Amino acid sequence: MIILLAWKNIWRNKKRSFIIIAATALGLWGGLFATAIMIGMWETAIDAAINRDLSHLQIHQDGFTTEKQINNFIENPQTVFNAISSLGEIENYSARTVIEGMASSPTSSRGIKILGIDPANEKKITDNYKKIIEGSYFEKDIRNQIVIGKKLADKLKLKMNSKLVCSFQGLDASIVYASFRISGIFSTESSTFDEMNVFVLQSDLNRLLNVKSLIHEIAIRTKSSLVVDTIKSQLKLKLPILAVDSWKDLAPEFRLTQETLYIQMYFFVGIILFALLFGIMNTMLMSVLERVREFGMLMAVGMKRIRVFLLILFETIMLSLVGGMIGVLLAAATTEYFAIIGINLSAFTEGLAIYGVSPMLYPDLPLNVYFVLSIMIVSTSIIAAIYPSYKAIRLQPAVAIRTF
Amino acid sequence: MSLIELENLSKIYDETAVPVEALKSIDLKIEKGEFTSIVGPSGSGKTTLLNMIGGLDRPTSGKVIINDKDISTMKSDQLIDFRLRNIGFVFQAFNLIPVFTAKENVEFIMLLQKVPKDERERRAIELLESVGLKERAENRPSELSGGQQQRVAVARALASKPSFVLADEPTANLDSETAESLLDLMEQLNHEYQMTFVFSTHDAKVIKRARRVVTLEDGKIKSDIYQNEKSQINS
Repeated sequence: MIILLAWKNIWRNKKRSFIIIAATALGLWGGLFATAIMIGMWETAIDAAINRDLSHLQIHQDGFTTEKQINNFIENPQTVFNAISSLGEIENYSARTVIEGMASSPTSSRGIKILGIDPANEKKITDNYKKIIEGSYFEKDIRNQIVIGKKLADKLKLKMNSKLVCSFQGLDASIVYASFRISGIFSTESSTFDEMNVFVLQSDLNRLLNVKSLIHEIAIRTKSSLVVDTIKSQLKLKLPILAVDSWKDLAPEFRLTQETLYIQMYFFVGIILFALLFGIMNTMLMSVLERVREFGMLMAVGMKRIRVFLLILFETIMLSLVGGMIGVLLAAATTEYFAIIGINLSAFTEGLAIYGVSPMLYPDLPLNVYFVLSIMIVSTSIIAAIYPSYKAIRLQPAVAIRTF
Repeated sequence: MSLIELENLSKIYDETAVPVEALKSIDLKIEKGEFTSIVGPSGSGKTTLLNMIGGLDRPTSGKVIINDKDISTMKSDQLIDFRLRNIGFVFQAFNLIPVFTAKENVEFIMLLQKVPKDERERRAIELLESVGLKERAENRPSELSGGQQQRVAVARALASKPSFVLADEPTANLDSETAESLLDLMEQLNHEYQMTFVFSTHDAKVIKRARRVVTLEDGKIKSDIYQNEKSQINS
């Protein structure tokens, strides 16, 4: 009945209660939705990076990721292929030749990373073939074709079928010059990637380098992102002399953002709740001061002070929870809605492309956030209830019942 | 032993630098079944005396013994519990819980006593019936007249099966007809259930209905008259 009394007491002054409920709901809605956008933005960026070039895991010769020396290739790639194939939870993998070099046009030149690929395998682990905006992704049966990013094409003032000369160090330390014909231009979410990376057929590179096979990198896609760490451990055991890295190792800025994002979110929402705490406390204090006589009566007839304290505490918690739940529901509804239709930020495409973020955002709010948030709301209301409750239990019944 | 005994009871309020002696060495005994009024002008100590009897305030010296228990030395929570189980209160301003119905207001006291739900509800209806308000059980105080609210307050006071009912100016906010009606009810309950009533009042009509009139003046008992018994005890 104390809980029933607390619930009924909230609605004694409907206008005042609605103001606090609305403030709580709107505050939480705004905070949560902003957070959902941030989380969605970074998750989209991470997914895009994985789909673009990182994949879930990469295997290199030890030291290759720090200094991409052409001579630091994987000596026995078949052993690696066998090790990968022996594991479950692997969706696909692709072997790449990775060479750092220069791309030159009649007007300019740029430092690039040349990726020699087998398009059939590469399509199974990346989605760059879907990002072709001109030409095709190695569908022509011609030699020395090259697929470059739009940013690089613009910088070098090149277009479809233009000639691009790539220079790089060969295995014998000599400089190799190779002329390629642009057969495709792609545009991904990351302008940096588009500017830095070019794709050629692995067979063309092998011929230019006079080798049968030259593998520097094996990119792996797992069936689920949840098993990445497990597969990494398993591969490290099977391939102790090679470097096995997950996307978190290859792009630590993403890992750091992912780890700190939730802390930032709770801090952000915590600030909102802290501000709301004073509003709730003020409302409850007014409510207590208006009911001095009633509290005096309750204590006079035999209600212990602890029960008076609990009564006010329940009122505060219920008031906060009503507003909190409405705010959470609104946030969930808007997040789910925009998670399907997306938020179009194409006005900021150029700025977002620097970070590899797609202009189409899909907000996301994990389920555990709602649970933690409920605890935060209840904690806030408990803190807000302390002072008003203290005022109530300090009343002297003999004086309070005669207050008008 | 009497139901209520006040022994050499004094109360001094230390109002900043000027102490106020609200009660001065009061000796008073009230027996079970009495229908007693405490009367006196403003400042006579009526309210203070009622607060002492009701355990709402502590004496500066002396004792308040109710049902053989000295309540003047009880700790705060002990006192609250004692009030719950031994004293029924009827206030001048009714003081019903506005968000509860009449029935819920009466039940509330029994809830504090942890009476089981079925018994609580049954007894609440019985009490409302005894004060003539069974059909208004589901109405909130705002839907009841002043007299009806005060009747609910009387029912609530009886809900805890108290040793006595303390009423502080119970008819002050009622018109004369309603006040008479309330007094009829209180007298009826006094006769039927031997329920002891101690009430303070200014109202001469109410004073006339009391069987014992204790008059206070300047913190002392000026007179203690059993009406209709032709005996008078002076302090």
